Amino acid sequence: MSPARLGRPRLDRPRLFAYLVVLGLIWLVTYPLLLTLIEALGGAGTWTLGHFGEFAGRIDEWRALWRSLWISVASVVLAGLVGVPLAFVFERTDFPGRRVLGALVALPVALPPLVGVIAFLFLYGESGFVSRAVQTVLGLDQPPWRLHGPGAILLVHTYSMYVYFYLFARAALARLDGSMLEAAAALGAGRWRILWRVTLPQLKPALLGAALLTFMTSLGSFSAPYIFAGGYRVMTTQIVASRVNGQYALAQVEAMVLASLALIALWLIRRFQGAEAVASAHGVAPVRRRIERPAARWGFAALGWGLAAFMLLPHLTLLLISLVPHGTWTVELWPPVLDFGNYRELFSEPERLRPMLNSLWMATAATAGAVVLGLMAARQSLRQGKRLGGALEVLVALPWAIPGTVFAVALGTAFSVHAPWFGRFVWIGTPIILPLAYLVRCLPITGRAALAGLRQLDPALEEAARSLGASSFGTLWQVVLPLVRPAVVAGLGLAFITGLGDFVTSIVLYTFETRPISIEIQSSLRVQEFGAAAAYGVLLMLMSAGAFLIWGRGEGRP
Amino acid sequence: MRIGSRASTGFFALALSISLVGCDDGRTPLTIYSPHGRDLLGLVEETFEAANPQIDVRCLDMGSQEVYERVRSEAANPQCDVWFGGPATILGRGARDGLLQPYRPSWADHLPAASQHPEDLFFGLYRTPPLLVYNEDAVSAEDAPSDWDDLLDEKWRGKVLIRDPVASGTMRTIFGMVLARSVTETGDAESGFEWLRQLDVQTKEYVHNPALLHQKMVRQEGLVTMWELTDILFQRLRGSPLGYRFPASGSPVIDDSIGLVKGSRQPEAARAFIEWVGSREVLLMAAEKAFRLPARGDLPPEELPEWARQALADLVTAEVDWQLIEERGAEWMSTWDQSVRGRGAKD
Repeated sequence: MSPARLGRPRLDRPRLFAYLVVLGLIWLVTYPLLLTLIEALGGAGTWTLGHFGEFAGRIDEWRALWRSLWISVASVVLAGLVGVPLAFVFERTDFPGRRVLGALVALPVALPPLVGVIAFLFLYGESGFVSRAVQTVLGLDQPPWRLHGPGAILLVHTYSMYVYFYLFARAALARLDGSMLEAAAALGAGRWRILWRVTLPQLKPALLGAALLTFMTSLGSFSAPYIFAGGYRVMTTQIVASRVNGQYALAQVEAMVLASLALIALWLIRRFQGAEAVASAHGVAPVRRRIERPAARWGFAALGWGLAAFMLLPHLTLLLISLVPHGTWTVELWPPVLDFGNYRELFSEPERLRPMLNSLWMATAATAGAVVLGLMAARQSLRQGKRLGGALEVLVALPWAIPGTVFAVALGTAFSVHAPWFGRFVWIGTPIILPLAYLVRCLPITGRAALAGLRQLDPALEEAARSLGASSFGTLWQVVLPLVRPAVVAGLGLAFITGLGDFVTSIVLYTFETRPISIEIQSSLRVQEFGAAAAYGVLLMLMSAGAFLIWGRGEGRP
Repeated sequence: MRIGSRASTGFFALALSISLVGCDDGRTPLTIYSPHGRDLLGLVEETFEAANPQIDVRCLDMGSQEVYERVRSEAANPQCDVWFGGPATILGRGARDGLLQPYRPSWADHLPAASQHPEDLFFGLYRTPPLLVYNEDAVSAEDAPSDWDDLLDEKWRGKVLIRDPVASGTMRTIFGMVLARSVTETGDAESGFEWLRQLDVQTKEYVHNPALLHQKMVRQEGLVTMWELTDILFQRLRGSPLGYRFPASGSPVIDDSIGLVKGSRQPEAARAFIEWVGSREVLLMAAEKAFRLPARGDLPPEELPEWARQALADLVTAEVDWQLIEERGAEWMSTWDQSVRGRGAKD
């Protein structure tokens, strides 16, 4: 293929580098999936489409697919409706306690998987605090509701996913050019007009990024449908049901269908985004509107604290459960005994501490890798032509579209054969595979965040730096990175927390040496030790929150 | 990259350095995958290490289905030495997939023939009887269901909780018994499915894990369920108000088995462990402290703890066509999932 004939740019160093990034991503993301698919189809020689036929012929499969779809769309809408207004409140106005509250409101993201959902059950479940309180106040014979079915899933999804919108929108608002707003105002535009015509278009990359993350996350969400939905199957629980029933090939088909759905969503969002990069000169962020009237000031503060308290209810519930000794809390409204026994037990054996250290180092390594790779991919994606750039963007987003379990199985399959020339090594059962899996799982977050940040960047700035004699590395280091920092940091925090709390990937790939916290939580739950599980959950939460506060600090101050 | 302040750099460094500490002490590591839970595993680990100080036992606790999937996915680089626990049906699948290697411990001779694998790939170690469970605070012992059919009584409508059978070995065994019986008695599974449809009408909720099942039972969200003996005895020990009844028409007792993983890196230690865990003293200890009913038939009842003697006296073992369950189990569950689950109940 002669580049000249196609009229493309020469295969110069940047382009070569871009191809290398693509190749690396294909090796990490697509290759394992392909190998699994081949295996699912019966391996070379015995190809069969029978399982696809079986899938297409079953009404329950279509029903599960439809449910996955509408629940994910609804999750995006609800999460956006909660997250974006919150971002505006905390980024554009100033009131007492704004900084602390602004961080607290993001904490749903620090609620660990599995036990997080259990905390919801203790709060809003049939015999949960809130339900019992409502029942008592209204004098009902029956619990006022049952935390069950799609409503319960949407509640949990909205709660845990609005943070994507909140964080991305806040990061984008912090990067907003105040002079444009002033110009619009000077030209006579009203506040709503400015919002619709100036602010929101500038937020578009961030909002679309958040929408995509939310959509993919709820498409792949497992714990909530698994625990709340019973026979109300979505695709992820359908896959697990097929697997435990030994129908591995059918499970692979289901996984592929789910992945296709995610790919279509990705394609749609890319189309919607259009080619135009929303660039803004690096102006000064608009001044926060200080709320002056004392009554309004305190009203805002009270509202903020109330909201934060509501958002922290599941965390507090988890804390409470962690203090309940085993078997002491049955039908009472409030646990009769509280002590630190669960924590003492946890800290008394080094064996039980080990998982925390494991989670820490693996999440750290994975995040570092995912940030670097995500940034490289995002930069190349914007610099290269539409086709190569598009391929990069899809590759980065793909892991999010694949349910964690399926992806983990794929990685396990790919890296259980020694064939270095085919890029395959026996990594299963070694400490490499789990951090690698975390890295791939975090890639969509860091990649999306970097893309959103880079899209807001004015290319003229880079050109200016280059024409003033800066090297390409110098430009990256001194111009690009400082400017995309808020976005990248938002992604980094999320990625770290995702790795730290990961359950679905870990359950497939952990070994004794690398067992993470979530596995320990799972085995506590298996023996009905809610208290011990919650104690682990609380520690996980503290670590997540700590990481989040460290990286959240200084965010929005370019 | 200026991604963070010094604090975050410190955080990274700390995380990395802490996790690199802590390591090998020169003992032989013996890795065990097991669904037995911390109580038994902790006990076994401690006692075995005391008797064999050169061995470091590493137990990974997981569901029985997960053990199978992990051993299967790690076949290229086996991490596990001993597959300790799980119904014989699941270990049987592992045996068919070539995941186990033969080892015949000396205690195997004392097992009933049904608990021995013909090629010595795995052996029954404990017997786990599924049974009927009720909340003692809300239901008196006389009112409690005493046979499977009692669950279909009008008075339990909407008060039955069931652990989701698709994901549970215990529940699959009970449902399997119902369907296999139907096949044996009538030639097809239809009357079995009819029974399960009636059960579905009674069922308030299919609960997704044993922890939640227990929680909901204790909180009286449901009053009766079916589960297995060991778990219930532990819950009672911890003060949960759960009573149990052995079903009068018989319980499909599960053969909880053990086997040596193919490609084990420490086959010597693994064999030593299997030999040890099935020995008389250790079985009696497991019965005493962890409510495990030994599969070996040669242990004199008077040496067993009180609960076990009682259980052996009350337990009626159902005749079950295990072969049929193993062959058609997946198909049955698939049918149940698509055409029975939630069809009769209100929700």
